[in-house]
Amino acid sequence: MAKQKKEPKPGWYRLDNAGVLYSAIQKEKYSAIYRFSAVMTERVDPDALQRAVEKTMPRFPGFRVRIKKGAFWYYLEPNNAPGPFVKRDISNPCQPVRFKEDNGWLVRFFYYERRISLEVFHALSDGGGALVFFRTLLAVYLRELGHAVPNGEGVLDVDEPPRPEEMEDAYTRYAGKKVLRGGWARTAYPNKSAAEPFYTLNVTMGFVPVDKLKAAAKAYGASITEYLTAVLMLSIMENQKAEKPRHEKPVALAIPINLRSGFPSETLRNFILTVRPCIDPELGDYTLKELVDYVHHFLRLNINRQQMQATFTGNVRFTTNKLLQIFPVFLKNPVMSLSYKLVAARPYSATYTNPGAFRVPEEMAPHIQRMEVILGQATRPSPHCASISYGNIMEITFAGTGVSSETERRFFCRLVREGVPVRVESNRTG
Amino acid sequence: MSYCVNCGVELDATASACPLCHTPVVNPSAPVDTVSPRPFPTQKGEVPEVSKWELALLLSAMLASAALCCGILNLFLHPERAWSLYVIGAAVMLWVWFVPPLLMRGMHLCTRLVFDVVAVAIYVYLISVDLSGSAWFWHLALPVILLGGAAVLFLGLVLRGGKRSILSSITLVIGAVGFFLFGVELFLDWYLLGTWEPTWSLVVVTICVALIIPLVIVRRVPSLREEVRRRFHM
Repeated sequence: MAKQKKEPKPGWYRLDNAGVLYSAIQKEKYSAIYRFSAVMTERVDPDALQRAVEKTMPRFPGFRVRIKKGAFWYYLEPNNAPGPFVKRDISNPCQPVRFKEDNGWLVRFFYYERRISLEVFHALSDGGGALVFFRTLLAVYLRELGHAVPNGEGVLDVDEPPRPEEMEDAYTRYAGKKVLRGGWARTAYPNKSAAEPFYTLNVTMGFVPVDKLKAAAKAYGASITEYLTAVLMLSIMENQKAEKPRHEKPVALAIPINLRSGFPSETLRNFILTVRPCIDPELGDYTLKELVDYVHHFLRLNINRQQMQATFTGNVRFTTNKLLQIFPVFLKNPVMSLSYKLVAARPYSATYTNPGAFRVPEEMAPHIQRMEVILGQATRPSPHCASISYGNIMEITFAGTGVSSETERRFFCRLVREGVPVRVESNRTG
Repeated sequence: MSYCVNCGVELDATASACPLCHTPVVNPSAPVDTVSPRPFPTQKGEVPEVSKWELALLLSAMLASAALCCGILNLFLHPERAWSLYVIGAAVMLWVWFVPPLLMRGMHLCTRLVFDVVAVAIYVYLISVDLSGSAWFWHLALPVILLGGAAVLFLGLVLRGGKRSILSSITLVIGAVGFFLFGVELFLDWYLLGTWEPTWSLVVVTICVALIIPLVIVRRVPSLREEVRRRFHM
């Protein structure tokens, strides 16, 4: 069962196994970055936001770090440099980080009109942890504006000291004895198009009413995540079919699962695992109903405690492998980068993540209009998809460095045909 | 509010075209709003390029110190022979191979190969100086190095971008190896015998051709290609 391993001495700490991977695949033109945004009802006050950042950061030591290169592994250490400073937003979000630039900060804060954005380097935290940080930051920001916002309901008290359990490596804590090896997954249809020049990230957001979406999903007997996953798979299948290949490749998605529901943990660091729904178009055409049924049953069959524990135990074993440990980091990085390409990039057509509904205390709710999420660039010019809901607005983002907008066009057109109204915004028309 | 006539999605009031299908917005009752702020900023952000100076300096210092130490040691250890030229030459060659590409971004493949081949030639020249072998250097080593450089340049230019199939790439590599070894024997014969009497290189070329022919056939015949793909899961 759960076991607590000896934690390193305070000051510096090891990356968790997801962090190890994200730091190893870091390149000059690629970083694993994601962004959460809150569109407020009032125009953002950058001074108040900066004050809120300064008050919130000390409460979250896991975000107040810099990454350093050790002899064998990267590690994180507290960052006492000035900042991070709130900046005016840019048209191309989720730009790669530089470990030695910007005072070593691995989180960024932006504002634009009524939008507040937080960008996080994935080695620090997953979406679940970052949303706790962001919710607290928004609460402190609203307090700075004079609104009374209580702690609780996901808002942490910035005046209390950080709790050790928020910093735990939950993978190591829950790693068991049995390891599940998934076997070699087939190369999936890459869904890529011509690459835009560096610095470009095409972002297209669709806003749909949650009640209408829920009704559409319910008509198929599925949840919103299952329904949207199926629609995305169908859109990618149609993309491939339009290319008229001699042989169609499988269409597979990476769906990150928040492990906190199955393995109780208050960690704000990474604690996710992906599952891989995959269909083979060579077997024949699929209707949306068939795809929804497949995804529905696949997720229910594969998301279980035992299987997930055995899978991340294998990942933990990999990073604690004695043979791997003796290689210096500059030799290890290319190997891990290659293994990422073979195991975590090639077998997938795209990633779709849905952190679910963003909930805030009642006092905060009137000040936030909607939430947005952007999954940063992929390692190839293909779009990733992410969604988040707030109130009755579900926001679905496609973001990628490819020129083509076919995936999002097919996806949103399908929703419109299914009777779900969609409103679209994009930085492409900028 | 405007809707895309193709996609049926509602568009932002500031959008002049649908971001999904790029159809222009033409709505006389709701012209494009050019006053309100756009949903996303228009100013692009740029991250600084990663500095490779530190790594270049470290590599240069390591290679220079190795070369310098051996050069000084040579003054006291077997000073009658310039053995340190081997180490100095290797250091120069490694420096040319690795340091300029770090500092000069986007260096063209041809330029890089010219530098690399010149570095190899200098290294071999230093060896020839120590062995008093200028004859073999100019008549044998240099032509072979240039031929090897030409073969690598050809492969680099043809296979660049990874767009060729695995079968085509293997065919080209085998062909280039055969061509290079054929040239090696040619230069060897000219240097040693003063005439060209091909023997072993013909065997190599025959083997290369024998390997290339089935590969070309497999590449050209779809059913065979499919069989190979099935067997090897390519």
